[in-house]
Amino acid sequence: MREKIKVVSVLPNLLGTYGDSGNAVVVSKRLALRGFKVDLVRADLKSGVPTDADFYLIGGGEDGPQARAAEFLAIGSPLERALDKGAALLAVCAGFQILGRSFIGPDMEPRDGIGVFGCRTHRFEGPRSVGELIVDPGDAMPGVPMLTGYENHQGITELLDGTRPLGVVRTGNGNNFGPRVDGGVIGRAIGTYMHGPVLARNPKFCDYFLSLVIGQVDPIRDVALENSHDRLYFERINQVLKD
Amino acid sequence: MRKAEARVAIAGAQLVSSLVRSLGIGEGAALPGRLLIRLYPGVISELSKSLPAVLISGTNAKTTTTALTKEALSGSFNVTSNTTGANMDTGIAFSLTTRKGTTAGKDLAVFEVDEAYLPDIGSKLETKIVALLNLSRDQLDRVSETRMTASKWSSFFQKNPHITVVANCDDPLVVFAAQSASEVLWVSAGLNFFQDAYSCPVCGGEIDFSDSGWRCTCGFSRPLADIEVSGNTVSVFGKGIEMNLSLPGQCNVANSAIALGVCQVLEVDLDSAARRMSSISEVAGRYKRVSIDGHEVRMLLSKNPAGWVEVFDMVGDDSSVVVAINAQTADGKDPSWLWDVPFELLRGKEVFASGERAYDLSVRLHYAEVSHRVEKDSLEALRACGAKDVSFVGNYTSFQQLRNRLQGNNGSLVSFIRRLGNRVLG
Repeated sequence: MREKIKVVSVLPNLLGTYGDSGNAVVVSKRLALRGFKVDLVRADLKSGVPTDADFYLIGGGEDGPQARAAEFLAIGSPLERALDKGAALLAVCAGFQILGRSFIGPDMEPRDGIGVFGCRTHRFEGPRSVGELIVDPGDAMPGVPMLTGYENHQGITELLDGTRPLGVVRTGNGNNFGPRVDGGVIGRAIGTYMHGPVLARNPKFCDYFLSLVIGQVDPIRDVALENSHDRLYFERINQVLKD
Repeated sequence: MRKAEARVAIAGAQLVSSLVRSLGIGEGAALPGRLLIRLYPGVISELSKSLPAVLISGTNAKTTTTALTKEALSGSFNVTSNTTGANMDTGIAFSLTTRKGTTAGKDLAVFEVDEAYLPDIGSKLETKIVALLNLSRDQLDRVSETRMTASKWSSFFQKNPHITVVANCDDPLVVFAAQSASEVLWVSAGLNFFQDAYSCPVCGGEIDFSDSGWRCTCGFSRPLADIEVSGNTVSVFGKGIEMNLSLPGQCNVANSAIALGVCQVLEVDLDSAARRMSSISEVAGRYKRVSIDGHEVRMLLSKNPAGWVEVFDMVGDDSSVVVAINAQTADGKDPSWLWDVPFELLRGKEVFASGERAYDLSVRLHYAEVSHRVEKDSLEALRACGAKDVSFVGNYTSFQQLRNRLQGNNGSLVSFIRRLGNRVLG
């Protein structure tokens, strides 16, 4: 048995509307299959967010709960402290937005975000971004091919100094601001608009995310599991690029 | 519109409907309804004059609760209803052309209404009662997030104080909407999926759930129930009504409690309403067992995480289960919700991942440690099952596809004619 790894699903009761809690399940299982002992914690408003974990996953949700989550995560800065200690973080959609410098509250007014990512999210006056999203990360993440997911949001996210995009949008809108890009990356923190959940759709992206903390990752020997991932991945990529 | 033109529009829609049904390509309500609204835009308001309406809405159990309510009221009223599940403006427009009777005081409409369409359709009809079942995530690419829907319902009730609401007091989002109504009958119909209910719709805080109810620190809390369910007994203001439903599952006793709430408002005898409801054994092809090549297949429909909680209850002892998932427009195009379903409960059964999005389901089942086989063709999967008693669980279009094939209809012809019809009507 290798060392113990702590995985935190951040406020899934508030930011769990779009199936993103699956990301924590995928992270935990892919660690366990590699021999790590995994402690998966669901952090809520009562328990608070621990600062001593290795992986943090935060997902998408509705406007009201999103604002509540932002207020809560500002108290005591648990996520910034964990990142400073070397943890990795994946934030999706509403979770990505509140971890920027500002986002739009339920009253349509801008609110302060946590400021992990150098980005600002504004309200898009056009139609909601809904549909398949394909993002090409280029060479930024070794071994990670084109990413597939599903977006569903009203935001436009402007990247500022210090935060680079996760990749270039091939299909869909992503950040929907300026050059066609999705998400943001700074240090070990990654943001994106891709649901799916994104790590279930893109196992190589999951393994890259794991490598940010545990270093080199071994291949997984569960052939049936990896085949199921391959079938889904290629079906989605081929289907969407064909349409 | 002149009377003659209206009659032509109605006759045209009815002709299309019988054509659709005789070709066996559908229930014949949505497409003719679309034609009807196109030819006769005021049809819903015109045909519903002097027809008091009971509307049933929510995320899950609309079709079943509508069928139960219609049956419960049929002893006392001439009931017009959209029993096929066509619950948007098109389906309701067409249902009105089949209006039963014109006796003042005896006619009633019982319609299931899509949650997003409720304010619009409710304003066009002579709405008297609205029954609210539940609100949870479903088809997020089309329907708004649940809190937005609850707010729209709430302002609809504020503007229409003459409406009596029969509401599930166990669902905070339903209570948030219903408390704007001037008159509410609270039914404890249960809540089986909490994930959309934790965040308080009033203050954004986290709601505390306990065995005795729920409460937020801001003071928003569960109202006292007028109607409660315990096992097979529904208690209406303290009077116990024994339910002996033919439909399976505890959730259907809760649905019948909502129906009894509507009966109570309309002063219908509850014992005879209960007897009538017990005669229903299938609803739009759901719940019944069909024989397929030596297998007895229970046909179940479940389209979102909340619905799945009920399905696990109904799958029961069947040792083989075929799950078919599609992601067409009517299903919601994003099947991410599969990760909110506790599929772990299927461990130990023979499971097939089926439907157009079988691969999404297969990955999910692997992570739930449910051993399974993948067969995209549902009928083939059913034939390959080892057990005699099998449960088939489909979401909306995968369920309809199998049903059409079992009725000997050509699935690709159905979708071709649907597409053609939709294109012609813009």
